[in-house]
Amino acid sequence: MADNSEPGTMQAEAPAAAPEPSEMELVTRTREGEEAAFEELFNRHKRRVALLAGRFFRQREQVEEIVQESFTKAYFALNDFANQQENSFASWIARIAFNTCYDELRRLKRRPEGSLSEVSEEESAWLAEQLLADTRQRDIESAAITRDLADKLLARLSPEDRLVLVMLEAEGMSVAEIAQATRWSVSKVKVRAHRARAALRRVLNRFL
Amino acid sequence: MVGKKRVRATDERLDRLGSEIVRATAMPETEAESVAAAPFLYARLRARINAERTRREEGESRLAMLKVFWRAVPALALVAVFALALFWSSATQRLANSGYVSEAILNSPDSGIERTVFTDNQALSSDEVLATIYDGEAAK
Repeated sequence: MADNSEPGTMQAEAPAAAPEPSEMELVTRTREGEEAAFEELFNRHKRRVALLAGRFFRQREQVEEIVQESFTKAYFALNDFANQQENSFASWIARIAFNTCYDELRRLKRRPEGSLSEVSEEESAWLAEQLLADTRQRDIESAAITRDLADKLLARLSPEDRLVLVMLEAEGMSVAEIAQATRWSVSKVKVRAHRARAALRRVLNRFL
Repeated sequence: MVGKKRVRATDERLDRLGSEIVRATAMPETEAESVAAAPFLYARLRARINAERTRREEGESRLAMLKVFWRAVPALALVAVFALALFWSSATQRLANSGYVSEAILNSPDSGIERTVFTDNQALSSDEVLATIYDGEAAK
């Protein structure tokens, strides 16, 4: 076969895309002081952490605060991640984010000006209407009234109850997954979930 | 039986409503994604990490100072005990000296006896020795 390439020139081959560094590699490089490695970890997981924080809080500032706090905690605990040989950085950072949300819920609960404002008569009537309505007819998620009302109702729960309910209902996690994320025992998660549901029923009953 | 069924049905309805309410409190995913994609988010995080690092370093240096102080406590206590002992012994000495003076003034029927008492009770102080020497020289 004739070689058509001119002498002195090399056939320009498209450089093969470098394989993405593994998370463990990025963690090691971060621990060695490479800032870009931590930025890469942040870029890979920030969306997940923001979504997770968004399950608990609706204010942008709160969600951003959770994202920043979670990654700051992660940065200073990278040695723990390396030593514990965690399965994945994703589940590790998710656990940190859950803990940060839990801490924030507790902080909000301690504040006297927490959102324990009264449920209005209009909201109470709407709630009763929703209870009686067929599930398919409900339009809770799109109703403007719901968000404020839901905040008011959930503010009456303990942080532990709220954490478990959000993990179960909004995040769709199993009991085993919650136990792994919170480091609680499976039986404790079950008991807590049962109590949380009962507490929410009591809160709803009060306004019906 | 009917009552129990009714309670259970109500609980189930409340649970369903409750779970819908819990889901309703969540921020819409698009909004959460926009938070994650906010510009300068990483720069703010970096600034926060640096501030936290400074805070921790300050805390560590304070802790190190406390440790040094804690290590110095026994030495300081020893010095204090030594100083106290010194103070106490000098006070006792002063008291004994005053006893000697009063004895010298009040009980002086015979110098021979007096000397014996002096020897038993207390040796002469340096001041007294000096005074004796001066007196002797003055007499010369």
